[in-house]
Order: sequence, then structure tokens, then C-alpha cells
Amino acid sequence: MPSGVIPGKYFVQGDEAIAEGAIAAGCRFFAGYPITPSSETSETMARRLPEVGGVCLQMEDELASIHAVGAASVGGMKAMTISSGPGISLKLEGLGWGIKNEIPYVVADVQRAGPSNGVATRVGQGDFYTIRYGSAGGNHSIIALSPKSTQEAFDLTIDCFNLSEIFRCPVFLLTDETVGHTRELLVIPEEDELKVVKRFKPTVAPEKFVMYPLNTPGVINYPFPNIGEGYGICVSPYTHNSKGYASTAQDIQEKMARRLVLKVTENLDKLVRVESQKMEDAEFAVIAYGGNARPAVAAVDMAREQGMKVGFFRPIIVWPFPDADVLKVAEKVKNILVCELNIDGQLSREVARASKGKAEVFHFGSGGVEPHLPAQIFNEIRRFYK
Amino acid sequence: MAITIVKDFCKGCGFCIVSCPKKVFDLSDEMNKKGYRLPAPVRIDDCTGCSLCDLYCPDFAIVLEKTKKKDKEKEVG
Amino acid sequence: MSTVGETLNVLHPLVEKYLRKERMPHMACSGCGIGQVVHSVLLAIDELGLTPKDTVWVQGVGCSSRITYSTWVGDNVDAHHGRMFAVATGLKMARPDMNFICFTGDGDCGAIGGNHFIHACRRNLDVTAILFNNGIYGMTGGQVAPTSPVGAVTTTTPYGNIEDPFDMCQMAVAAGASYVARWRSTDFKALTNSLKKGIQTKGLAFIEVLLQCPTNFGRYVLKSSNPQDVLTWIKEHSVTQKEAEKLSKEELTGKYLIGEFVHRPERTGIVERYQEFLKTHQKY
Repeated sequence: MPSGVIPGKYFVQGDEAIAEGAIAAGCRFFAGYPITPSSETSETMARRLPEVGGVCLQMEDELASIHAVGAASVGGMKAMTISSGPGISLKLEGLGWGIKNEIPYVVADVQRAGPSNGVATRVGQGDFYTIRYGSAGGNHSIIALSPKSTQEAFDLTIDCFNLSEIFRCPVFLLTDETVGHTRELLVIPEEDELKVVKRFKPTVAPEKFVMYPLNTPGVINYPFPNIGEGYGICVSPYTHNSKGYASTAQDIQEKMARRLVLKVTENLDKLVRVESQKMEDAEFAVIAYGGNARPAVAAVDMAREQGMKVGFFRPIIVWPFPDADVLKVAEKVKNILVCELNIDGQLSREVARASKGKAEVFHFGSGGVEPHLPAQIFNEIRRFYK
Repeated sequence: MAITIVKDFCKGCGFCIVSCPKKVFDLSDEMNKKGYRLPAPVRIDDCTGCSLCDLYCPDFAIVLEKTKKKDKEKEVG
Repeated sequence: MSTVGETLNVLHPLVEKYLRKERMPHMACSGCGIGQVVHSVLLAIDELGLTPKDTVWVQGVGCSSRITYSTWVGDNVDAHHGRMFAVATGLKMARPDMNFICFTGDGDCGAIGGNHFIHACRRNLDVTAILFNNGIYGMTGGQVAPTSPVGAVTTTTPYGNIEDPFDMCQMAVAAGASYVARWRSTDFKALTNSLKKGIQTKGLAFIEVLLQCPTNFGRYVLKSSNPQDVLTWIKEHSVTQKEAEKLSKEELTGKYLIGEFVHRPERTGIVERYQEFLKTHQKY
């Protein structure tokens, strides 16, 4: 399969970088519905995917998109969709199909100010919990990565595709309008510098192959046979046994739930992706993610200029939440300031939970529309710094 | 024609009994393990091999097999 | 010679060849017409020489779909409620070389799945879709469907349905499906032939089948759980298009037209158009 990667330096929006990252990762199916601020990804895919022989469809709605994407992956293609908050809400049931049947694909959420339709063209960070807990019924883990820049939007999209194959599940790219719509430098490397994980295929005969490894919940790098490969696969939205036959038995439900949770939680070592700056001697930490990360870094620099021992920590992987790394931060510093673009406090809640009381956690939230200004964050640092 | 009722599949709907133009079937006294009362091809000699029972059965519970003797008789006329 | 089969030593040849034995008997109620339609589908598959290697069964949620869940011995893809057509779109675009037999129902196609249904017709997706129209929601216990007749007493219309039903076939025709037809579960030969025609027609083949639901439609709407009564009702309320020409508008009210409505294989669909499109636009 031709990579379609065109190495070089580009001046593009994060949304476009997502599309290029997907193509570099081998994505050859995209289905989406226009929704601000993600539409530029759909438009880039519409232009680029046919060039690499891929299928790009504008579906009739958000639900059709996620189901077509899951189906295309069942059909053997690496697939992706993108949306924003209101569309992600619509996709949540369909996401469950991908989770339950262990189907690899990528869903990107370009967050906008919310709730509801909110402000379509402006930034927010209110879907942090939605993507983790929004799909019906619980009993599953979620993997989500969040870029801070156009370059990371490209790099992490490839990472998302790789993780989706390794963990055989849908993976989120949780981004936002700031990253999605900011134009900056993107460097696309040579093809041989890219690390792309190929889909795992069975090495045993169909009679011996276990489609859903319910009895080995922690196994990853697990094969995913597709239709037309002679494996007689069964895909079902209901709780099903390891063959894919729907079941109401309690022990099957138990095994299925454990499989979908543990396959991620038992492999956390594969999911460490964090960033620290100036944390070595820090007594105060600022935590932010996505489009709010760089203002936080600038504020930390301002604080350092004033002699304050402030450091910056960023979860690049937002789900599963990097508990162990956040605990290390909490054990080191006295206070943590979490800066996020929501008033209800989502990231800060996770940070507080993971800190286990080792540091005091302050939530600096705003409703969105604008990311925090470095000066705003710096003021908050000054308020709480001891 | 040899008619076999696949006991475990029959759900006692009665379509075979009602649809047979030659009234080959009757309800038997036998029940399968689900409690459905099974039909039986009691007048098998009247069977013309029309296959309506097979088509009407929603549960693939009727297996028809052309018997050599009957075919030969038909050929001779 | 007659015998009554003891165990599964004797199996129907279609079951032997095409269905997963451990999933039989299927979960349909006694007297339900779904099994009859599946029988016709298997005959069509058999007569055309389709195989488990090149054919996928796709279904949604409802009796229409759950009875065929993981029943076909090849690949089975069961979608969320209403999303069968969206899933079929993804599957077919990924594997245009394979055949897709798709099952759907009153709610799956006409209610929650309505949008995906009309767009699949508009795109003329090259699959064969069979709509099980039993005029009610069976799996969930007998609620009204968008295909329920006016006046039908159901669990959610205890005083009688006041809404008009869809004519799903006319919607498929208007939206662009290449082949559209309506039959009854007991139109065995016509249905099998129509299925063969639909499978062989490029573009979306939409085949609606009126069938008996003795458990819910029978009990709630007709006050009888006897499947024969439901079959009789269907017969009394259906008329061939030729017969319909002789009837007045009043006489036709509440009647279902049976037969083929459209066969336009010349209308291209998204699958072949996309393949053509790539010939121009693929660079790498």
C-alpha cells in the first residue's frame, strides 16, 4: 500500500495535520459529517484520501459516520472519523460497538466551548469526561491522546492509529479548536522514519482462533481477522462470548467487562506519555493539556523569572489518566494549579483524585472561547504559590 | 418421498399440517424436549412431493428425501 | 417410509450447508414468518452459487435481525439498532468484491434507521436488503411501528394507532434503489426469484416481505395468536399491482401492493462510481 506520505515542511492548521497523520499511519477510510471546528480535517481527507486510493465519504450524519468507520475497519481498512462535542455525543452509542467488538479505529474530537452547541468556532475543553464515560454501560477503558500543537497533532494521530491496532480498540485524539485552527509549522518526515503498526492477523486456523479473548483479558497485540478472510467472524453489539454469539449469561458478561477494562489497565506501561518542564526543583506545579498547554508553559516561565519554583506537567495521554505520574508530581510539590477550559472542573478532578491528598489542587477554569492567557495563569500562580 | 421431522427444531406451529394439500400430516402424541407437540407424516403414501411442507416450515424441521422406489414408480407411470 | 428424526443426525440440507448448527433452532417464535423468509434467502444463495467465503450477512436489531445473528456460517456483522445500512456502507466500500445480504425490520429501517435507509438508496449501495415487515415491534414486546396499520392496537397504542404507515417500497423507489419489490413470506417461489434478481442487480436491492408475527401482531392487533389468522389477514390486505388497477382508491386503502416496483440496473451506485473516480484521482 502506497504511504501517500509527502515529506517536507508545511504551514498548516492542526486539523490538516491530523489528516496527514492519519494517511501516514495507513488510514484509508474516512467517514465524517461537517462540524466546526473539525471540518478542515474532513476537507483535507476528501482531497488527499482519493490520491492514495482511499475511501472518503461524507455521511448523512454523525451516527452513520462512526458506524461506517467501525464497519470499514471490520472490512479490513484502517479508518477514522472526526467531530466536535455535539457530534461526539451523537457517536457515543456507535463507539460502544467498536469497544465491545474490539475494533481498531480513531475518533478525533476537536473540542469547542459548550455545553450543547456552545460556540462552534471557539475553543473549549469540556469533553474530557464525555469521551471516557459517555458510552453506554461502562465496563470499558478508553485510550485518548491530546496534542498541544500542529506537529503533535500529526505525530499523535499516528500514535493513536498504532495504539488502536495494539489494543484492538477505538482510540481518541482529544484536541480542541485552538490546536485545530492554529496554523504553524508541520514537518512530515521521510516514510522510513515513521513507525506504523500493521494490523495483527491470526496465525492459527479459523477453528482454533478465538475472536474475542475473554479468558485472557490482559492480552494485547491480538489478531483482528476481517470479513472475507475465511474466519467466519461474528460482530455483535450485545454482550457476546468469545465466538461473538450474543449471551445473557452472567459469567460471560463478567468476562467481557473485565476484558474491556483490563486490556488497557494491565498494560499501562505501554501508555506512558507525559511532558514535564522545570519540574526538577519545583515546589508548585501547573498542569494543562491540549491547546491550553503552551499558555501554561509561558506562565510558568513568567513565574520562574520572578524566582518562583514553578514547574509544568502535561498529560499527553489523558485516558487512561496517568495516575502514577501525577502522584509523583503531587508528592514533589505543595500545590498544583490545573488550568482548563471548563468551569465544572474535569481535569482538575482527575488530578485531585490521582494526587491522593499529597498536594493541594486548585482548579483554574474558564468557560472557553479563548484559551487562558499566560498572564491570567501567572496571576493564579501568584494567588496560590507558597 | 421420505419425510423426517427434525424433532429438536420443531416449534409446533402446525403449518405443515395445514398447508399439505394431501393432508399427509397429523399431530402426533409425541412432544419434543421444549414441550412442542410434533407432527407426523401419517399418510406418507399420499405424498406427491410438492415440498410445500418444507417451504412452509419456518424452522427447517422438515427434511424431504426422494425415495428411489417412488421415483421409479413415477417414471413407469 | 416416514421417520421422526431423533436428534440432529438429520439436518435440513440448507442448514447443513449454510447455518451454524449450534445456533439452531433459531430464536423465532412458533409460527413466525422470519424462518420462511430465511429459507427463501438460502435457496436464492444456493441457486446463485454464493458461498460463505464471498458473502456476509449484515443485520441490525429486532426480530428482523436477531434471528439471523451469527447464524450464517460465513461472516456475520450485527449492527446497532437502525445502523445496519451505515455499517453495510462501510463494509461494502472496504470490500466491494463481497456480497452482502442485509436484514432489517420495521423500526430498524423505518424509524431509528430511516435516515441511513434513504441514503443507502440514494447512494444505490450495491447490497441486497430484506425488510421484514410484520407491522409491529416484535422483539421489544409489541409496540407500534411506522409500518403498523391505522387502528392497530399495540402496547403503545392501546386505543388504536392514529398514524398512517410508511410505504417503505415507495420510499426506496423515490430515493433511488435499483431494485424494489414487495412479497409475502408465503410467496415462496416469487420471493426466491426476486431475491436472486436483487442479488444479481447492481445497486441497492430492497425487498420488503410482509410476514406474520403471531405473538405480537396476532395477539394485540388481531386478538389471535394463531399464525394462520395473521397469514389470512396479510392475504386479505395484499393485492397484486395488476389486481390493484381494477380497484378504486377506497378499496385500495389499507392494502399492500405486491410485486416488483422498479428494476433499473442502469442506475450506477456509489461503489462503481467510486472505483471509477479513483481511476482519475489516485496518484500514489
